[in-house]
Amino acid sequence: MAHETHAATHARTLPADLGAPSFVDSWKTRAVLVGVIFSVIAALLAFADGSIDHFLRAWVLGLMLTFGFAVGGLALLMVQYVSGGKWGLLLRRPLEAMSRTLPLVFVYWVVSAIFMKKLYLWALYPTASDTTAALKAGLINEIQAHCLDFKRPMLNPVTYVWVSLLCFAIWAFYTWRLNSLGIQRDSDSPANTPVWIKKLENISGPGIVVYSLTMTAGAIYWVMSMDPTWYSSVYGFLFLVGQGYQVLAFSIIVALSLSKNEPFKTLLRQTEQHDLGKFTFAFVMLNIYIAFGQFLIIWSGNLPDEIPWYLDRIRGHWGIIITLDFIFHWVIPFSLLLSRDIKRNKKRLIRVCQWMIFAKAFDLFWLIEPNYKDAARNLHFSWGILEYTAVPIAMTAFWVAFFCTRLKTRPLVQTNDPHLAEILEPEHVHA
Amino acid sequence: MPAREGTYGLLAEFDTPSDLVRAARKAHQDGWRRLDCYTPYPVEEAAEAIGFHRNKVPLVTLIGGLMGGAAMFAMETWISVVAYPLNIAGRPTYSWPAFVVPAYEWTILWAGLSAAFGMLALNRLPALYHPLFNAPNFRDGATTDKFFLCLEALDPKFDLLETKQYLQSFAPVSVVEVEY
Repeated sequence: MAHETHAATHARTLPADLGAPSFVDSWKTRAVLVGVIFSVIAALLAFADGSIDHFLRAWVLGLMLTFGFAVGGLALLMVQYVSGGKWGLLLRRPLEAMSRTLPLVFVYWVVSAIFMKKLYLWALYPTASDTTAALKAGLINEIQAHCLDFKRPMLNPVTYVWVSLLCFAIWAFYTWRLNSLGIQRDSDSPANTPVWIKKLENISGPGIVVYSLTMTAGAIYWVMSMDPTWYSSVYGFLFLVGQGYQVLAFSIIVALSLSKNEPFKTLLRQTEQHDLGKFTFAFVMLNIYIAFGQFLIIWSGNLPDEIPWYLDRIRGHWGIIITLDFIFHWVIPFSLLLSRDIKRNKKRLIRVCQWMIFAKAFDLFWLIEPNYKDAARNLHFSWGILEYTAVPIAMTAFWVAFFCTRLKTRPLVQTNDPHLAEILEPEHVHA
Repeated sequence: MPAREGTYGLLAEFDTPSDLVRAARKAHQDGWRRLDCYTPYPVEEAAEAIGFHRNKVPLVTLIGGLMGGAAMFAMETWISVVAYPLNIAGRPTYSWPAFVVPAYEWTILWAGLSAAFGMLALNRLPALYHPLFNAPNFRDGATTDKFFLCLEALDPKFDLLETKQYLQSFAPVSVVEVEY
């Protein structure tokens, strides 16, 4: 029939070679180069500052950022298995590659664990007699001493190491399971696809719950416990949403950059790009919603054991940083992503997503640095504070290089999926 | 507007959105400007094919949202600072963090209402009468599974016989003449 032939001229065919294009190797080379340069800068800054305190704090920033990409990527991989959707098929292999960078994140964590005495008060004063001595010497105040003693069952080096190792083991299990099933599925016959879809759904559903819990534990131990006096029940969720924010931004950059060449040139339609832009917009909104919600509740309560955390981060010029954080983290991406034209323009959407990753790092700086006595309510320049640019850039660059090698190991699209036929159809077939 | 008589246009029926988009694109390229597509669900490529790239709904929504947010924030400020100042836990009367949530809610409410009513107004809805409903196949198919292209008689290129032949060249299911 005439109609069928007309429709056929519109449908696109899947390219024969589904491997990652060769320019991924040049990304890797560039990333390694950036990593080396900024490692040197970081080392020089540590010498100029005369201490590695800021180096280590910035290291935790880099850890949280790369941890967000790796484990957040695993989480979004599970979300797309549960939710379905063509965007999920498009991002599946890049997300799998992100999840398989977990070993590098583990190495990053090991470094922070080795230097825990420099990062966490509870590691520096692990017994009741330590806190009493420190209190007498005036190194900590009464509230800190009380909190350290009260929270010791949870905040002590042994529990910290075991909980972290358990979390990494769980993430490694899910990474291994989803990645190996993802590749097995492709070699199976299409007749079994419904079974595979159910199977991956059944792993991913509980996996998202397990991820939320373990990720919360990670956020509490690695960042929140830098200030042992403060707690917030929304803290884990704040990091969870933040991971969605940065993972979507990074995935969009990867997908749009890959579309310069096959196979993503054929696979990436404007419809899915627009959908991902809208999805990212939702996370930008949710992120500020949670962050402001936490502030509003603590501001309303006005309790002496909660507000110092904010005062540490507002007074002494930190007000400038939080104002900029609000603008960088929310106002700019929100205003830009409102525009349909920007969401549908590859170059501009990539710029917005790059900005969002920078904004995420800036937000982590505001969360981490004021935990320390020398910086709380006292934003001041030192050579050390510049580590916050050098160390995370170096760590993220090495992570990106590792990600590129992971991306090269598999075809860029899963062929045994009913969404594949849909994604190859012309854009106007489905609303 | 005086009552119109005669032919409103020629309506071509297609089975698939691809056929409709192809025909619409060609017609627009051939210089047709008084034409429209009718589909059971939004087909963005059809709108683009006939040169309909933008509409004013986003602008109306943005203005509505900003007005809603500003109105609520101003109202809260006026109530708390001027009209009925209360001492709430010793806070200043102008306590902006507390004003944010209602202002945010009103931004969404007004943006949503502006989008819905702005869309209706820009579409000139509600309309009590449209000539296309005179075509039986349009009545039955436009909201279920058919895709229509209408070339309107107001276009200077319109000629009953030639245009009919022109539409036939797209291999539609049918071409019918629609009266006002």
